[in-house]
Amino acid sequence: MTDTTRDGLEPAAATTTHGLVGRVQRSDWWRSMFRHPQLDTPRGRALQSFSNFFLHIYPVKVPARVLRLRYSFRLGFIAAVLFGILTVTGVYLMFVYTPSPSAAYGDMQHLKTSVGFGQLIRNVHRWSAHLMVLVIALHMVRVFYAGAYKKPREFNWVIGVVLLLVTLAFSFTGYLLPWDQLSYWAVTVGTNLVHYVPVLGGTLQDLLIGGDQIGPSTLLRFYALHVAVLPALLTVVLAVHIWRVRKDGFAVRRPNVGAFEEAATTTATSAPAGAPPDLYGGRSRLLGVVDRESVTAEDRAVDDTVFTWPHLVARHVVVALGVAALVLGLGVAFAAPLRGLANPNVTPEPSKAPWYFSGLQELLSHFDPLVAGILVPMGIVLVLVVLPYIDRNPATEARNRKVAVLVFTGLVVAAVVLTIVGTLFRGPGWKFVAPWTHLYLEL
Amino acid sequence: MTQDRRQFLVNGWKVGGALLIGAAGYTAYEALRPLAGGAGGGELSAGSVDDFAGDSATYFPEGRLYVVKAKGDLLALSQKCPHLGCQVPFCESSGRFECPCHGSIFDIGGEYITGPSPRGMDRYPITVKGGAVVVDTGSLEAGPDRGARKYFSKPKGPSCIEGG
Repeated sequence: MTDTTRDGLEPAAATTTHGLVGRVQRSDWWRSMFRHPQLDTPRGRALQSFSNFFLHIYPVKVPARVLRLRYSFRLGFIAAVLFGILTVTGVYLMFVYTPSPSAAYGDMQHLKTSVGFGQLIRNVHRWSAHLMVLVIALHMVRVFYAGAYKKPREFNWVIGVVLLLVTLAFSFTGYLLPWDQLSYWAVTVGTNLVHYVPVLGGTLQDLLIGGDQIGPSTLLRFYALHVAVLPALLTVVLAVHIWRVRKDGFAVRRPNVGAFEEAATTTATSAPAGAPPDLYGGRSRLLGVVDRESVTAEDRAVDDTVFTWPHLVARHVVVALGVAALVLGLGVAFAAPLRGLANPNVTPEPSKAPWYFSGLQELLSHFDPLVAGILVPMGIVLVLVVLPYIDRNPATEARNRKVAVLVFTGLVVAAVVLTIVGTLFRGPGWKFVAPWTHLYLEL
Repeated sequence: MTQDRRQFLVNGWKVGGALLIGAAGYTAYEALRPLAGGAGGGELSAGSVDDFAGDSATYFPEGRLYVVKAKGDLLALSQKCPHLGCQVPFCESSGRFECPCHGSIFDIGGEYITGPSPRGMDRYPITVKGGAVVVDTGSLEAGPDRGARKYFSKPKGPSCIEGG
């Protein structure tokens, strides 16, 4: 089917470029950079993947279904692209920005008035940051419903939870940097939550903001975290995450492809009665009931993989370009907000946390801060971390894991509702205000 | 205790690693902890006793506090909401402190009336020396418990928080 048309290449397809280009490509110094000629044969493509540092992030071949958009919606990849965009725009911003209360706000204005494309860079940075949080949340939801956190991928799910927390820390530290009323009071509310941690709360808050209120030392340490500590952390953890995607094996329904998985001896016992045997990694697919097309295709290779280069890489390039176009469009259309200079003596009405924390803020208006600000979020993180170890059900289809799907869906719905109410339906004094009468939304 | 040379070296690496982590952690703590004397701490002169009329709140931005006169008592109230640290403005129309962040409301004496705040507004010790009011901003005292009703009174007029 797909693989034969995609990768059934004739050796004659090998390129033999003539003229100057060909001579250059055959020269010693060219071959010192690119070890292998771009032979358009299966062997040539494999050699390119093996010998290219950037392509070696990918496996040489992937199962054909990985190419389908529906397989993953490319959410993890999109998050990685956004991280790349954030790194590039963030470095641009670092050339202009000074992390001190006397200078930071002025630098924000310079970006707008004096630096060519400065405001656009800031807009793209901001919208990419919001999108990254959103995409990572969707990625996690997608992975849950696919059951892709199950053995042998338990630990990669845990790494993913760490990446989510690092991303939130990124977003929260970056939120303070413009040093306007919006950032100042959102971070004031956010950091005061830490105070409710039992026993260590006061010390933790001191270490986080470096004083009894948000001030110069807070700005400096948030900056250092934002541009040095968190980028290094995210890069390393993300590398492990991507590496494990390969090592734990692609494609959810083949549990025995993981490098750490024992041989497929448990197939017969672990499969529920009536389930198609091939879904559980059996080697008996040709013995099952097959339709005519499958019979006629019987003599083709069992291998259903395709070359990553170019099939998956080309799709990723298209997605990356689409993401770049989207955030650029958002940056052109919508300016990142900048309120008045931060004033520690005037709290604006209303004071909202960033949208991904506004669900928490909504919860805080109903419950004790210790419960809503500390126990609930820590409980959620804890449940997420241990989820793959307590959910031992190997099934990945929704009908065979009703409890897990129902509980998780309930949590997701609750989080979405709280976030929407907190973001859109709250006005001064945290009073209920319908968004169609007045919208108190700032991103 | 017997251990061969190989085991001794392995343990040495472990101890060294633990010391290194401890040193890195302590250095991070030293770099991040607040520097002494960074905030407040001094005595704030708030003027003459006669400046404070019955049931009023006067704002002192340099001390981030209010000096109020409530039912004859002089109190120095921190502007920082005990809930999540927002600045609590005094609402002239209702004669109460109303926090715009999450809707906590306090009476003229800083006692809790409603909202998510866990207690009343925090206080600084206040002394009167020869007719001059002095606030010690160095020692903050936790506000009264939620049940306190010493200075409670009906709101004078409409609330400053929209719809409240």
